[in-house]
Formats: sequence, C-alpha cells, structure tokens
Amino acid sequence: MTFYLLIEQIINGLIIGSTYALIGSGIALIYGTMRVLNLAHGEFYMLGGYFVFYFAVTLGIPSYLAIPIAVFLAFVLGVVIQRMTIHYLLGREGWMFSSIAVTLGLSIFLQNAALLMFGEQFQSIPYYVSGVVEIGQVRIPAQRILIFVVAMTTIAVMWYILKRTRLGWAIRATSQDRDAAAVVGIPAERIFMITFGLAAALGAIAAAMLAPIYAINPWSGLPLLLKGFVVVILGGLGSFPGAIAAGLLLGVIEAIGVQLTSSEWRDLISFGLMIAVIWWRPWGLFGSKPA
Amino acid sequence: MSDTPMLQVEGLNVLYGNYQVLWDVALEVKHGEVAAVLGPNGSGKSTVLKAIMGLVPIQSGKVIFEGDDVTHLPTHEMVSRGISLVLERRRLFTNMTVRENILLGAYHKSVASRAASQLEWVESLFPILAERRDQIAGKMSGGEQQMIAIARSLMSHPRLLLMDEPYLGLSPKIVGEVVKIIRKVNSEGIAVLFNEQNVKLSFGVSHHGYLLEGGRMVLSGTGDEMIKSDVVRRVYLGI
Repeated sequence: MTFYLLIEQIINGLIIGSTYALIGSGIALIYGTMRVLNLAHGEFYMLGGYFVFYFAVTLGIPSYLAIPIAVFLAFVLGVVIQRMTIHYLLGREGWMFSSIAVTLGLSIFLQNAALLMFGEQFQSIPYYVSGVVEIGQVRIPAQRILIFVVAMTTIAVMWYILKRTRLGWAIRATSQDRDAAAVVGIPAERIFMITFGLAAALGAIAAAMLAPIYAINPWSGLPLLLKGFVVVILGGLGSFPGAIAAGLLLGVIEAIGVQLTSSEWRDLISFGLMIAVIWWRPWGLFGSKPA
Repeated sequence: MSDTPMLQVEGLNVLYGNYQVLWDVALEVKHGEVAAVLGPNGSGKSTVLKAIMGLVPIQSGKVIFEGDDVTHLPTHEMVSRGISLVLERRRLFTNMTVRENILLGAYHKSVASRAASQLEWVESLFPILAERRDQIAGKMSGGEQQMIAIARSLMSHPRLLLMDEPYLGLSPKIVGEVVKIIRKVNSEGIAVLFNEQNVKLSFGVSHHGYLLEGGRMVLSGTGDEMIKSDVVRRVYLGI
C-alpha cells in the first residue's frame, strides 16, 4: 500500500467513521441514561432516510430544508415511541429483559410499517453537492467531505448540549444516578423521553448524510444497528465520548483492513475487533475498568 | 408560627413486592425542629424518608406537608414544595465538579432563577466548597462529599431537610463536623428529619425522636426522653 493510498484510506475511514459515531452515540445516550439497549435504533436511521427522501425527492423541497424537517420529525417520533413503550417498562420487575423484547418488537413493527408506506424498492437521494476536492494527490468527492463536516458539527453541538446546557446537565445527572437526579428536582421521565428523541435525531442525521451513497429500503437499518453495537462496545457501553472515538477508529480500521484484504472482509474485521474487545477489555477501549 | 406540625405522616404502609416494610408508620416534624428516627439495619428507616420523598410507592397512608396532601407527588415536585433529601451514602454525581453538583440542586424551575443567590448563601455556609469548586466531586474526601451533598440539597431552599443516614461511612472526627452542619442548617430556620442507628448521634442532636423496629414505630418522645427511655437503653446501650 502506497503512502497516498494509506492517507486516502484513513480519510475515507474517518468519513464513514463519523457516521458510525453518530449511530453509536445515539445508542450510547439511550443506554447511558435508561440502561436500555435499543434494538430499534437502526429503524430510526432507516425512517430518517425515508423522511429525507420524502421531503427532498417526493415533495422536492431543497435539501437544506428537507433534512432539518426530517430530523425534527425523527426527534418527535423518538419521543412519542419512548412515551408509548419504554416509559411503561422502566423500573418494573424484569424491565431489563422486557425492554429488549419491546425494542426488538418495535424494530420489526417499524420495518413493516416502512414496507407498507414506502414499498420494498430501493430509494436513493441525489448527491447534495457535486465535484471533487483535491488535496495534494488525494482526491475526495465533495459529498464525502460534506458527510464528515455535518457529522462532526452534529457531534460538537451534541457535546455542547451535554456539557453546557441545563438539559445536558440533567441528562448527565440522570444517567449517573436516577434517584439523586430526582431528589434535586430533575423530572427523570421527561429526560428519558427527550434523550430517546435526541438519539433518534442523531440516527436521522446519519441517514440523511449516507442516503446519497447507500440506498434506503425498509431493512437498511440493520447493518447500521450492528455497526452501532460494535461502536458502543469498543467505546464502552453508555459512554458518549467513547462512542465518538470508537466510531472514528472503527471507520479507519475498516478502511485500511479492506484495502489490505477485500471488501467482503469489512464486517469480519469489525466484528472480530468487537469480539476481541469483549474478550480483553469488556469495559471498552476508552472506558476505565469498573471498580 | 402555627401549632400544626410542618410534616405529618399518618398510617404509612409500604411494600416491596409482597414484603411489607412499613406498618402504619406515623410521625411529625414541627417547624424549625430537628427530629431523628432511630432504628437498626433493616428496620425500614430509610424507606420512611424515601416514601415521604416519593422515591418508593406508598401503599396506603398520608404525607401532609404544610397542610397540603403530598402523598403521591412525584419526587421532583416535592423539591418545589420545599422538601429536600440528602440520600444515603451521599450519591453525588461523581464525574461532575463540585460546582456542577451544587448547581444541580437548583435545577427545578421553581428555584432555578434564584440559583445565584442560593449559591452565595450555600457557599457562605461551606466556604471550602467555593475554594474547591472545580474539583471532581468523586475525588473529594468522605466528609467533603457529605458537605457537597448537603449543599446540593440546600440549593432548592428547602424548609424541611431530610437526611438518610448522614453519618454512614464517616470517621468519628467527620461525624462531629456533620453534627455541627446539622445544627448550622437548623439555625438557619430549616427543620431537619434524619435517621441513624446510633442512639447518642440521633437523640443527642434532635428535639424529637422516634424508634422504629421491624417497620413499626414503637416509641417517640423528646430527644432527652428517648436517650433515657428503658427500651432504648436496653436494646441499644445494653444497660
């Protein structure tokens, strides 16, 4: 592998990795606050893609308006779904198991709802920007640069929300200790709803950015869900910064690994890595060993 | 100040699953007083405070605060009514700084606008917390953590402070400091209800005491009466 090819693969890896980070950080937020592993997270990604398709292609709204509308819709959908399902399980006997059953059921339900509403044909969205950017000898399509910029900006905004806003403090406090958050006056149940909505919105942003590259269909959420799991396990379950770092790292490892082998090895590499991490560092690459 | 108690708990029954933890528990806290619930491990004394605060579901009974029935209010609403709870083992947000922990105590919208003046007051009570404001709360000593937990609870400007085993896991020297803090908080006009398993630490500090055994209130009286009571002396002091 030549030096320039290596650089190109690292850049490609970071670009795809930034979308893995978006997916993974949504799963991490939900797990971190509610201790629920959301098996329906891929469907928020899938529906986000359809929402963008509907507004941008079917209705012909300019993409810079269509995407925010689609993301907001995904947020609302996340809040409503949490309130109608997970809300009733949290804290009940056996909720750890029942929440897995419910999110799996949701996943199947949403896939079939999408099948009925949008049909089974693959849909794609035209590139938002055209052209190629040349940096030295490395050529990158402008569309891919846009993916990276949007993903990293979203992560930065999310980071700011978590660190600097009242809502973010409440999310962090609730995720650390639900009772302690309640006794200082934080309405944990409302925080859970908003967190679920935010995670769905992160998935929809990832979908909006990837839709011009990967076609949308009712089952397109599953591969991203599995990638998201790899990310949260590498990053440490429930850790937002861990998921960001792990997403980018996974993207780069996959890109270089595929270059050294072939593209059929992509999933083998990422799941092999996940199994190795579960084996050697079950608390994640970036987490600290629990006491 | 009226003669009706600030807090009245009547006929409180609490179950964990099929297991009954509290049986017809009744107690009162008067305006401006310190009250203590003494009980051995597993007597249900933590559950009394959690039930008042709405952290565990109440099967039957009433919690009346300043004349209002607050029995089934959600926990975060209790804060806006003027009750605050310091949880057992402090339960700080250990990854966050001292200042962040304290400010979170004024999260509820009923007090958020007064957060700045509350912070000034709380930091005047505990000057060391102003000095250490940027340190990570989880890295502070046990006594300092208890101070942070109390400071956090005071941010909502409670008229009644509940404390679940405030001395647990602290060295005797630090326990002395916490006793001083309780007196200090009380001298600001705030009523305090806490629980404890040590006779002198509970009734020595309090105006009024209760003895809880097996989830039932078996005795009550002034702090002095409780220390001198035969039951307490026999069971707890072995005299």
